[in-house]
Amino acid sequence: MNSQKIPLLLRIRPLITIFIVVIILIWFLTPLVLITLSAFASSDDYYQFEKVIPTHFTLHHFESLFFGLEAWKAIINSLSVAGITMLLSFLIGLPAGYALSRYVFPGKNFLKLLCMVTKMFPLMVLAVPLLIIFMRIGISDSTWGTSLAHTAMVLPIIILIFSSILSGVSVEYEEAAMIFGLSRIQAFFHITIPLVLPGLAASAIFAFNISWNEVFVATILTLTNRTLPAHILKTAMASPDYIKFAAGFIMAVPAMVFIFFVRKHLVTMWGISLK
Amino acid sequence: MVKVRIEGLKKYFDKVKAVNDINLEIIPGEFVVLLGPSGCGKTTLLRCISGLEIVTAGKVFFDDDNITYLSPKDRNISMVFQNYAVWPHMTVRSNIAFPLRIKKHSQSKIQEKVAWAASLLGIDNLLDRYPTQLSGGQRQRVAVARSIVMEPKVLLMDEPLSNLDALLRVRMRAEIKKLQEKLKVTTLYVTHDQVEAMTMGDRIAVLEQGVVQQFGSSNEIYHNPVNTFVAGFIGSPQMNFIEVEIVNKNDKLYLTTKGLEILLLDIFKERVSRLSDKRKYILGIRPEHIYVASNKPVEKVASIRGKVYFAELLRSDTVIHLEQKFGLLGIKAPGDLKVEEGKELEALIDLSKIHLFEKDSHKAIF
Repeated sequence: MNSQKIPLLLRIRPLITIFIVVIILIWFLTPLVLITLSAFASSDDYYQFEKVIPTHFTLHHFESLFFGLEAWKAIINSLSVAGITMLLSFLIGLPAGYALSRYVFPGKNFLKLLCMVTKMFPLMVLAVPLLIIFMRIGISDSTWGTSLAHTAMVLPIIILIFSSILSGVSVEYEEAAMIFGLSRIQAFFHITIPLVLPGLAASAIFAFNISWNEVFVATILTLTNRTLPAHILKTAMASPDYIKFAAGFIMAVPAMVFIFFVRKHLVTMWGISLK
Repeated sequence: MVKVRIEGLKKYFDKVKAVNDINLEIIPGEFVVLLGPSGCGKTTLLRCISGLEIVTAGKVFFDDDNITYLSPKDRNISMVFQNYAVWPHMTVRSNIAFPLRIKKHSQSKIQEKVAWAASLLGIDNLLDRYPTQLSGGQRQRVAVARSIVMEPKVLLMDEPLSNLDALLRVRMRAEIKKLQEKLKVTTLYVTHDQVEAMTMGDRIAVLEQGVVQQFGSSNEIYHNPVNTFVAGFIGSPQMNFIEVEIVNKNDKLYLTTKGLEILLLDIFKERVSRLSDKRKYILGIRPEHIYVASNKPVEKVASIRGKVYFAELLRSDTVIHLEQKFGLLGIKAPGDLKVEEGKELEALIDLSKIHLFEKDSHKAIF
C-alpha cells in the first residue's frame, strides 16, 4: 500500500482550534473564578497573596452584604425590575416585531430607523430629564419607574430582534393554520410562538441581563428602592475588598442561573434553526 | 361536491393588476388546473379563492353562497402549499389531526379519520415522526393527508409538486389525480408545468397577465388554442411561429413567406376567404406535425428542405432544428432517426394540422 500522508497543516488544524478555544475560555473565566474564590475566602486569606486558593471557606461576606448592607432588598428590587422590563418589552415588542416582519406599510423603514435613533443619545442626556418627569408624575424612586426606563432602553433592540426571528418563520405555516380553522391571532399563538420559542428565550435573557446589569439610570432614578447594581455601587464599593467580590459574585450568579435554565431553548429545537 | 363560481374577480397590488377580471365556473367535483408562467396571477387567484388575499373587486361563490369576504377558516376549504407548510413542531399525527381538533371532533372520530387519511396516502407508519425526520415526498404526503382529512368543500393546491424530484413528481401526479377522483372533491390546482396540467386537469385555465386566455379540456387547448400565447405555452418543443402572407394563385390560397409556400386545405378555406389579404398573419406548426421524409404517415403534406442546424438527441425523440430562410424550424422526429448536423434534410408539414393567427391581435383564425 502506498498511502498518501495527510498534510501537516491539516493534521494540526484541530490542535490550533483547541488552543484558540482554551485562550478564549481563560480570557472569560479567569475573572469569574477569581471573584468566586475571593468571595468565599476569609479576610485573612484574602490579604495573603500566596493563598490564591483560600484555605478557609466562609459565608461571612455574604452575611454582611445581604443583611448588614441590606442587599437582599436590592436583589428583590432588581428581580422585579428585570421581570417587569422583560414582560413589558415582550408585550410591546412581539406585536411590533410581528407587524414589521409580516406587513408592508408606509414608513416601515423609517420606523425601523427610529428604533435605532433612541439608542443614539447618551444615557446621561436622557436620565436627568427623565428623573424630572418621573418626579412630576410621582413614579421616581419606584420599581415601576426604573422598569419603564429599562424597557425604553431594551425595547428598540427587542423589536428589531423579534421582527427578524418572526421573519424566520415561513408565512405559509400561519396561512396553513388559518386555512385549517384558526384566526390570525390564534395562528400566531398556536403555530408561530412555539416555533420561535428558542429565539424568544434568547431575547428574554437579553432583556433580563440588560436590566439586571444597568446601573446608571437605576442610580439616578432611585434613592431608597435601589436595584442591586445601584445599591452595590453606593454601599459595597465603600466597603472592604472581599465584600466587593461577594457583591460581584451575587451580580453574576443570577444571570448565569437564568441562562442555565433557558439554555436548552437557545439550541435549535426540532431541528429548525432560526437566524 | 361544490360548484365554484368566480365573477369579475380583480386583485390589484398597488398598480400591479395581478388578477384582472376573471370569470370561471367550475362544476362540482371537477379538477381544474390554473396554468401559466410565473407572475401570471394564478397563485393570486387561488389565494383569493382561499380568502388569504382580500379581493379588490368581484365575487366568489361556492354553490350559491357568496363567500367573497368570508375568512379562510369559515370557508370549509383546505390547501396544499408549495413548501408543504407541515408544522415542524408537531408530529405527523398531530399535523393531520389539526383541522379536526380545531373543529372539535370527538377523539374517536379524529383517530378514525387520521387513520383513514394516512392509509390513503400510505403514511400509516410515519404517524409518530416529526416532519424534519421525513423526506420531501413524505412531507408532501402529510400535507395532502392533512388537506383531505376534514373532507373539504374545495381543495386548493398551490404548485404542490414543484419541490419534488422528477421521478417522484410523476408518481405523485398520478396519485393525487386518483385520490381526487376517489374523493370527488372540487379541486383547483395551480402549476406552471404543462405536463402536470395536461395529465391531471379535467379542464385547464391558461392564465397570462391576470387574464384567463383559454379555459377548456386539454384536448381543446392543444388542438384549438385561441391565441399565440396558449399555442406557444402548450406543447413541447414549442410550436413554430412563422410570419406569412395569404396569396391567391389560380383560385388556390397559399400561406407564403421567404422559402415557404403552404397550400391551404379546403377545410380552412372558408375561414380565410373572409379575411383581408393586406394584413399580416402568423402560421403555427407544431414540431410533432412535421415529419422527416422517410417516414410519411399522412397524405396532404407540404415539402420543405433545409440544412440541419442542430439536433437534440433525446433518444426517445430527436428534435431537429432545420435552417430555413425565415428562421429555424423545429421538428420532432423519432429517436432512432439518423441525423447529421449540416446535412440537407427533407421534411413534410402535415397540412391538416396547421394553425393560423392574426398578427396584430394574436387571435386564432383556425
